[in-house]
Amino acid sequence: MDLFGISFLGLNVVPIILVIAGLVALRMFFNLNTLAWMAAWWVGLYLMLSNGITVPLPGSIVGMFMGIITLALLVYLTTSGEDLEATKDFMVKFFTDSRYSPALLAFLVLLPSLVAYNVYTGMTQQPQAPVFGRTIHPPPPTDITFKGKKIDLVNDDNPYRILKETDPDAFAAHVANGRKVYYQNCVNCHGDDMGGNGMFAHAFDPIPASFKDPTTIAMLQESYLFWRIAKGAPGLPDESTPWSSAMPAWEKFLSEEDIWDVIIFLYEYTGYEPRAKEELH
Amino acid sequence: MKNLTILLISLFLGTMFAQEAIMGTEAQRAAGKVIYDAQCSQCHGYDGDAKSVGNDYLRPAPRAFTSGTFKFRTTESGELPTHEDLKASIRDGMPYTSMPAWPQFSDKELDNLAYYIKTFSEDFIDYGDVKPIDMPSAPSFSEASAERGRVVYEENQCLDCHGNLGRGDGPSAPTLVDKWDQPIRAADLTKRWTWRGGATREDIYQTFVTGLDGSPMPSYNIQPPEDQWALVDYVYSLGASDEADYATVLAATLVEGDFDISQGPAIFDNVPVAMFAVAGQVIEPGRAHYPGVNSINAQVIINETDIAIMLTWHDMTAETEGVNGPNMQVPDDDVLNEPIEALISDAVGVIFPSEPTVGAEKPYFMMGDKSNSVDLWFADLASSDCDLYVGKGTGSIVQAESDIRIASSFEDGKWTVLLQRSLASENGISFTPGTFTPIAFSVWDGWNKERGNKRGLTSWYNMYVPPLEQVSPVGPMMQYALLTLLAQLALVAYFRIKYRKKEEEVA
Repeated sequence: MDLFGISFLGLNVVPIILVIAGLVALRMFFNLNTLAWMAAWWVGLYLMLSNGITVPLPGSIVGMFMGIITLALLVYLTTSGEDLEATKDFMVKFFTDSRYSPALLAFLVLLPSLVAYNVYTGMTQQPQAPVFGRTIHPPPPTDITFKGKKIDLVNDDNPYRILKETDPDAFAAHVANGRKVYYQNCVNCHGDDMGGNGMFAHAFDPIPASFKDPTTIAMLQESYLFWRIAKGAPGLPDESTPWSSAMPAWEKFLSEEDIWDVIIFLYEYTGYEPRAKEELH
Repeated sequence: MKNLTILLISLFLGTMFAQEAIMGTEAQRAAGKVIYDAQCSQCHGYDGDAKSVGNDYLRPAPRAFTSGTFKFRTTESGELPTHEDLKASIRDGMPYTSMPAWPQFSDKELDNLAYYIKTFSEDFIDYGDVKPIDMPSAPSFSEASAERGRVVYEENQCLDCHGNLGRGDGPSAPTLVDKWDQPIRAADLTKRWTWRGGATREDIYQTFVTGLDGSPMPSYNIQPPEDQWALVDYVYSLGASDEADYATVLAATLVEGDFDISQGPAIFDNVPVAMFAVAGQVIEPGRAHYPGVNSINAQVIINETDIAIMLTWHDMTAETEGVNGPNMQVPDDDVLNEPIEALISDAVGVIFPSEPTVGAEKPYFMMGDKSNSVDLWFADLASSDCDLYVGKGTGSIVQAESDIRIASSFEDGKWTVLLQRSLASENGISFTPGTFTPIAFSVWDGWNKERGNKRGLTSWYNMYVPPLEQVSPVGPMMQYALLTLLAQLALVAYFRIKYRKKEEEVA
């Protein structure tokens, strides 16, 4: 079992515990001066930031945090005259006392080497492909034209949902048709159990939506789903990278009723309720 | 009399318990039915006969449980699977098919499902009391054993279907059909991640010892036992990894001096390979629900003037006769893969934006769109040309003048296509060294009658063209190191001058 893979609340538990244990051990078993203690904190926090978070932070963000941490540690150092004096004394000794000559020499050799190594890795590393953010649920238009018919996304609702109360048999027929539509069209990408893991899912980026995920259909209105299904990738605004999504514009394949039916099926299968329409005042 | 009654009762109870071990209780089967009807029937049919709304759209086709024939078993050839075999098939699923893994089912739910699935075939009541084969513990892999395994592979005619190098391209491969007369493909032994029955060495052993019932894969009684593991090791050695190592970046390598694709694939020796996942085109009408190709490998080299791309992919047969083209018409939804008379050749395409992209905006990855067009480098492998098309959507693909050169070959189930062009061209995109360019691929399997929109494709990935001058890092390394050293020395000097003086003063 990979110990370093244990994750809790988005944090990698093992590296964090190791760093804390290391700091505690330093405190208990070594009598460090303020400067060494600060260096330990600096290194410990760096290790936590770079290894302790499950979704790795980009180097630039870690750098920013470390800048803030460095400032905070300097502030801490300068709040106590005693500490500051002790640190200064230590630095004076380090730079002038012949007792420290070997350490000083090591410092003079190691730091430039580290800088050179950093330059080397920076220059020889394969450049990273550009990454572009994308809006997952962009705001919908107020209306769309579906096969020549205007559909009002603000006010129109799934016309067959009411049947759930008024005519359960007719509603069941819509669910059954939605199921058929789903397993003949959507299953390739969105998967048998709607987990977004169909047999082609791994080949597409952005990956197909998982309808089991509570942040997808559970927080969207049915008219929003109608827009996304009918217009697909080409209907997305630029901030949602329409050029990379593999979602078809299903108006090319499905009737209006098919789309409302498959929407009903998505909610029936997952057990989610569509988000209610807001009351407009 | 009393003894006879006891005997009869115990016999009756005995059969009942034995039956219950195989078929479960009525309550268990009923609980299984609830899950089955909601989660399985859309593909396997309410009656377990695979007559379902999904069937036509899914290949390999969903199993008809009524047949009592099961591929993945730990039991002898021709026998039914064990209860645990059925559970394992549901729990682990079958990669690269529409049968997903169902890790969300509890062990109890899997039990109930397996009990219910057995009710579809009466065979389970009569012959369901099966024992798994003895599974010896696997000796560790050895090169010598794998070498011996090659001989076993040849002796048992594995190459007839799986091909000389295991790419699923043997001479009999195109003729294979399953028990229900459906075409079926021999496994590509180099891609373990696509194996339905699992990717471990134990799985390989189980597969040829038990056979895959209903498919043309028989069971083999290979003797002596060492040869069984030799075959396992050879088959295992054909693949490089258990998991597919799909890439997202295709980095070009800068080479010194001239190259020409007429020199063959050797010019790509030691150039890193990027493997991209290929999916069926299911976005526009003319969908490919089960494309013939599932991945494509690419390598790129450049020098000061030219770029060359090498594409390789596995294909059961080379279709080098007939015709293919990105504009060829396909029925709107050719779900059942209607046989057509016309010979369709294999083809491959590389897609770039026609203009360098700015910011995030790109043309649509499939074939461009109205506002941004793509260049399609299209190689119909029945011809000896590489054509250039400009696409503004699938309905607007226009041929343009091409200066792309091509060399292609097919060997042992692998296509190798080399493309070469100057970095800068008046015909289509120019590549700027030191930049990323979006790149996508399409593959048409002629045997599968893939043409026009019906094809395998990839989404956008990034191709990196390195700078033509490779700056040596030594200069900047020295520069920065020296600057650091100077700063350090200044610090030392400052402390020494300031505090030594003080000490002297104190003294």
